[in-house]
Amino acid sequence: AAAPEGPQDSAWQRDSELPHGLLQQAARAALHFFNFRAGSPSALRVLAAVQQGRAWINSKKECQVDLEFTTEHYNPEEGEERLGNCSAQVFFKNEKPRPTINVTCTRFMEKSKRQQEDYLLYKHMKQLKDPLDVISIPDSHGHIDPSLRPIWDLAFLGSSYVMWEKTTQFLHYYMAQLSSVKQWKTDEDAIDFDYTVLLHEFSTQEIISCRIHLVWHPNKPLKVKYHCQGPQAPEEASGIEEGSAAAPTTGLINY
Amino acid sequence: MKPLLGTLYLLGMLVLGGLGYDRSQAQHRQEVVDKTATPWSSLETYPYNRYHPMGEIYQWMSLISEKYPEVVTQHFLGMTYETRPMYYLKISQPSSNPKKIMWMDCGIHAREWIAPAFCQWFVREILQNYQDNSRIRRLLKNLDFYVLPVLNIDGYIYTWTTDRLWRKSRSSHNNGTCFGTDLNRNFNVSWCSIGASKDCQDLTFCGTEPVSEPETKAVSSFIESKKEDIVCFLTIHSYGQLILMPYGYTKNKPSNYKELIQVGQKAANALKAKHGTNYRVGSSVDILYATSGSSRDWARDIGIPFSYTFELRDSGKYGFVLPEAQIQATCEETMEAVLSILDDVYEKYWYSNSAGKVTSTTLVLSLLMSFRSLF
Repeated sequence: AAAPEGPQDSAWQRDSELPHGLLQQAARAALHFFNFRAGSPSALRVLAAVQQGRAWINSKKECQVDLEFTTEHYNPEEGEERLGNCSAQVFFKNEKPRPTINVTCTRFMEKSKRQQEDYLLYKHMKQLKDPLDVISIPDSHGHIDPSLRPIWDLAFLGSSYVMWEKTTQFLHYYMAQLSSVKQWKTDEDAIDFDYTVLLHEFSTQEIISCRIHLVWHPNKPLKVKYHCQGPQAPEEASGIEEGSAAAPTTGLINY
Repeated sequence: MKPLLGTLYLLGMLVLGGLGYDRSQAQHRQEVVDKTATPWSSLETYPYNRYHPMGEIYQWMSLISEKYPEVVTQHFLGMTYETRPMYYLKISQPSSNPKKIMWMDCGIHAREWIAPAFCQWFVREILQNYQDNSRIRRLLKNLDFYVLPVLNIDGYIYTWTTDRLWRKSRSSHNNGTCFGTDLNRNFNVSWCSIGASKDCQDLTFCGTEPVSEPETKAVSSFIESKKEDIVCFLTIHSYGQLILMPYGYTKNKPSNYKELIQVGQKAANALKAKHGTNYRVGSSVDILYATSGSSRDWARDIGIPFSYTFELRDSGKYGFVLPEAQIQATCEETMEAVLSILDDVYEKYWYSNSAGKVTSTTLVLSLLMSFRSLF
C-alpha cells in the first residue's frame, strides 16, 4: 500500500509543481507492469484517467510518484464501460532503466471469466498453423483478421514487459505494429511465441524495433526475453523476466 | 425553380446514359481510371471510408473539380522533393463580396493516414451539402475553403511502397546516407530551438535551415501571399485525440489564447457529442510536448488568428495504423469539430459586422440622447 507521507528519507523534496505529464507517465508505467504481472491477455488494461497524485524528487533528480487512476479494458466488449481503480507508487530512477512499481487495482473482471477467456485464447493459439504466413499485424490498413486477434493480444502482453522497462518520466510507448511473427511451438503445453514488434515512442516520435520471445500458459508465470534496436537503445537493451499469475482471491490485485 | 431544373438535368443524364451516349470527356475519364485499375469506377463509388494511395487521390481531385466546376477549382502549389506536383482544392461560392479564407492541410506526416482521409471526407461533405445545408451555405457566403489533401506526398507514397511508419519527407541528406526532414519542424518560427533535432537520423529533424524543404516553401509562400485573408489555419495529424493551439516553442500564450481555448473546447464538445470520443484541448507545449518550427505556430505568428492542430484518433491502441473501419466515425466527429470552429469564426467576423452597424447606430442615438439631456 502506498505510504501517504512519501519517502521518509530527508533527501527527498516534495515536488509541488509537477513536471509536465509526470502523473500520466507514472500511470502508464504502472499499467504496463500490472499487465505484465497479471499475465492475462484477455484482461489487459489501459489508462482511462489520472485522478490525483503527488511526487517527490531527490537531489539526483530521481522521482517518486504516488497516484490514483482509473483503467479501461483494452478489449472492451460491446457496450462494456467498466472502469477499474488503481493506486500505485512509481519510482523513476537514474541507474537501472526500469521504474520500480507497486500497484494495486480493483478487479473488474470475474476471475472465472478471465480464466475462461484466457483458456479460449490459449486453445485458439495452439490451433493456429505454424509457420504463419503473416507479414504484419495489423496490415497497413489497420485490419487484423479475427483469427489473428489473439496473436495481437498476446504480443501486447509481452510488449508490456518491454514498455514497462523503457517508460521514464519523459518517454512512453505504444505498440505500433507487429512486423513479423516468427514461429512458435508449444513445448510442454505452453505457447512459445517469437515475434518482432514496432514500438512508437511518443515524445521523440521514434519507432524502435524489438524482438520478443515469450512463453505463456494460462495461470503460469509469463516469461519474456527481448532485444531492442533503434535510437532509444544505444546499447543492446535486453531483459529477461518472469512474471507471476497468482490467482487473487480478494477484490484487489496487488503487485 | 432550381430543383426543377436539377431534376430535368438528371433526367436528361439518365436518358443520355441509357442511350449509351458517351460524352468524350466521360470516356476519357473512364480510360484513365481503367489504366490504373482502380477498384472504383466513378466519383459516385469512391469509397471515403477506405485509405487511398496517392495516384487515386490525384484522380479524385480531378474528378471533384470536374464534377463541381461552379464551386471547385484545383490549383498547383509547388513541387515536392521528388518532383511531384502538390495541388490544393479551392471551394468557393461565386459572389461579389470579398471572402476570407479557411486553410486546411492534411498529411504533413506521412504515416498519419487518417488525416488525408479526413481532408477528402471534408471536401465531399461540403460539396454534397452546400446547396441544401443552410449551415454550410452560410459559411460559403463569406468563406472560401482551401484544402490540401496531402502535404507530404513523397512521404505518403513511401508509406504505401516501403515503410508504413515513415514520418518525414524524402529529401536526401549527408550524401544520400540519410533521408527526410520533419516538415512540421521546418517552418520559420523559432526554428530548431526546441523539440527538434539537427541530426538527420532523428524523426524530428528540422532540416538544413528554416524552410529548406520544397514542400515547406510551397506552403509558406502561398500562405504568406494570402495571409491578410486567412482567418483559420487547420493542420490535421494523428494520433492522440487532441485539439492543439499555439504555441509549441514557448510557454507564452498567444494574444487570443482565451478565445482559442473557448472555440477549441466548443469544438471538442461538438466532436464528443457525435460518437462519445474524448479530445483534450490546450496549447501544444502544455498538453503535448515542446516543438519549434511547426506550421501552426508559424501561421499564428504571421497573424492568422484561428490556428489549430488536430490530432485525430486514436489514443494509442492502433495509433497510426487506424483500422479503416474507424474512418467514417472519425471523419464524422471531426467534421463536427471543424464546422463548430468555422461557425465561431463566422460569427466573429460577419455577425459582428452587422452588430457593428447596430453599435454605431446606438452610439449616435446615445450621443443625441446625451445632448438632449444637456438642455
